[in-house]
Amino acid sequence: MPGSDWAADDHFRVETGYVKTMLNPYDESALELTLKYADQLKKADRAFHLTAITVDGKQADTHLKTLAALRFDKIVRMENSYDLRFMPEVIAAALATFARESEKADLVVMGCQGGVGDNAKTPLLVAENLGWSCITQVTAIEPPGAAAEKYLKVISAVDGGVLEQTVTPPMVLSVGNAPGTYLRVPTLKDKVEHGKKPVELLDINEFVIGSVMEEASQNLRLKGLAPVSHQRESRVIEGENPAQKAKSLYESYLKRRLK
Amino acid sequence: MLSVPKEKIIESLVEMLGEENVVTDEQVLKDSSVDRFRRFEEIHGYYTQPLPAAVVYVHNKEEVASLLKYAGDNRINVVPRTGDSATEGGLETAVENSIVVDGSGMNQIVSIDPYNMLATCQCGVPLQTLEDQLREQGYTTGHSPQSKPLAQMGGLVATRSIGQFSTLYGGIEDMVVGLEAVFPNGEIAWIKSVPRRAAGPDIRHVVIGNEGALCYITEVTVKIHKFMPENNYLLGYTLDNMKTGFEILREIMVSGYKPSVARLYDVEDGAQHFSHFAEGKCVLILMAEGPKPLAEATGKAMEEIVEQYEECEKVEPRLIQVWFDNLNWDVSKVAEEREEIYATKNISNTTEVSATWDKIYDIYKVCVERIRNEIPDITLIGGHSSHSYLNGTNMYFVYFYNVVDCSPKEEISKYHLPIKKIIVEETIKAGGSMCHHHGVGKHRSAWIKDEYGSSYYILETLKRAFDPEGIMNKGTIYPDK
Repeated sequence: MPGSDWAADDHFRVETGYVKTMLNPYDESALELTLKYADQLKKADRAFHLTAITVDGKQADTHLKTLAALRFDKIVRMENSYDLRFMPEVIAAALATFARESEKADLVVMGCQGGVGDNAKTPLLVAENLGWSCITQVTAIEPPGAAAEKYLKVISAVDGGVLEQTVTPPMVLSVGNAPGTYLRVPTLKDKVEHGKKPVELLDINEFVIGSVMEEASQNLRLKGLAPVSHQRESRVIEGENPAQKAKSLYESYLKRRLK
Repeated sequence: MLSVPKEKIIESLVEMLGEENVVTDEQVLKDSSVDRFRRFEEIHGYYTQPLPAAVVYVHNKEEVASLLKYAGDNRINVVPRTGDSATEGGLETAVENSIVVDGSGMNQIVSIDPYNMLATCQCGVPLQTLEDQLREQGYTTGHSPQSKPLAQMGGLVATRSIGQFSTLYGGIEDMVVGLEAVFPNGEIAWIKSVPRRAAGPDIRHVVIGNEGALCYITEVTVKIHKFMPENNYLLGYTLDNMKTGFEILREIMVSGYKPSVARLYDVEDGAQHFSHFAEGKCVLILMAEGPKPLAEATGKAMEEIVEQYEECEKVEPRLIQVWFDNLNWDVSKVAEEREEIYATKNISNTTEVSATWDKIYDIYKVCVERIRNEIPDITLIGGHSSHSYLNGTNMYFVYFYNVVDCSPKEEISKYHLPIKKIIVEETIKAGGSMCHHHGVGKHRSAWIKDEYGSSYYILETLKRAFDPEGIMNKGTIYPDK
């Protein structure tokens, strides 16, 4: 985005209130992978319960309602009044407490990166808080078959290849670039029948102890924002005709590289 | 049709145009047998239409003339094409071994004449290119269809296209001053550019909107206008009811104001673009442009009109500015859409109709209700009015559906055509027009006689007169018997 198109306020927040919000692509992939996994569990006649949670403001409710229409059993938004940018420890602690104590979950699927400044750490920190394993760059989740109900097959991208693991939950899965995982679209019928479910509101203070918040807030202080420069070096090749320009390109640039 | 063997057709084409201008690669032929209407099939690798014999690239009117003459003499179907952004099946090759005649190589801007406010260009000039060049000099065509980055001048005129600023500048039919077209017997006809004439019927309209079913457009001259975006007066409102919105649009138009943009979105369609400020609301967007005193006066007058309606709430223009700046679809958006359709099996299509003020709301209401109740797997049905006139407005229905429990080849018959049928039949029944600006293509030609009624005689006679052998884009506008 060019520097002229955005401005930060006194608290170094970039105002985005004038644009339509959308799910970040990692969360979208995590949600679709979860739904694909749920489809397979359903096919195998296995029980499951899906909860979608976000730590965000009211603008997230549109997306949560869509998830309700897509048959998530519960939709939850954790409200907070703090500036949680660059504080993935706090979000991770809250989500871990919610997963363990409120939901008694055995699988947490997250987009690898969400809020500003989480630096793809949140899923790893959630796993650490829970004391569970974490697989990163997940691209698919599958049940390994009826014979091994307690296992699950996780496919993830690793340097130079694809890793397929059969693992035992509980665990945290962090979803990165997973191809073909646009979130499916609920029908009008789904919206009428399932999308009216209320968003359950929780207060983040009930899930994070004060010391975590205090410690995290001392770790890092945002001092400024600047646009990233994506400029490339370039030079205009002068010449009266294409032949002259080609000669100039050859003499000044290509010749020494062709030796 | 005579059945000239494919090899013989190709041989003749190569002789006429040179090998480099005759493409027979199988994938190119497959891609050239369809347009956006069949993109669900095509994205999934299915090609259900007869394949053309070749795609040929023409570079001047003489080449077009000899090609059409050859096709006429041998009764070979010809599908004219420029920017390849058609949406209604107009570019489908309904007949095996057709010749797709691509004019995108005729891409010269012949002249820009700021004194007489005219721009002349060949049929393959992309509108974006013309518009960019005009804007560098402080002018604009005033034409801005969603397909601006893709569409080319010949196709825009052939389909009677319209743009987002039409309420001020008009549709393409209001912009074309003169043109040149080649007819199937090889006749080249040039209509000179004059401000107005009363020398018999306006024959420009035989060519404008012919969709390649009568002739091949090779050159067009359009009006240009001074470009003064610094004076744009943008207004946005939320409101509860489409009925109120139509009333406001009507009041603005009958009061004599000429906004460039006058758009009314229903809740469902609006949610796609404006959920950040208008959840559960309809959205009304107005813009005045032109010389500053005129733009300001028009803008303020429209504000006064809208303020009389209590349910309207004004929103900050910056909330709609980002949407406004991204109205046109370029290649990357088309590519992204393809990927998304493939992954989700969710596809959107549109049908645009028009009617007088007393009928448009009822058409909107009954179509939305029927589609919602009668068509399976709908994920969104809504629409907007985007082009208003003294006598009425258009309705642009937008519908998305999940394609489930059927082959990609059945998408059209299971979903798209039944939806189109509801909209077209309800509109014609109410006395409106089934096509506002996408053209008839091949998928609304079944209703063309109902659309025209007794005046179909005139339309039918044009075909008999100009294309007696029926070689021009078979099935388009005129139903394939």
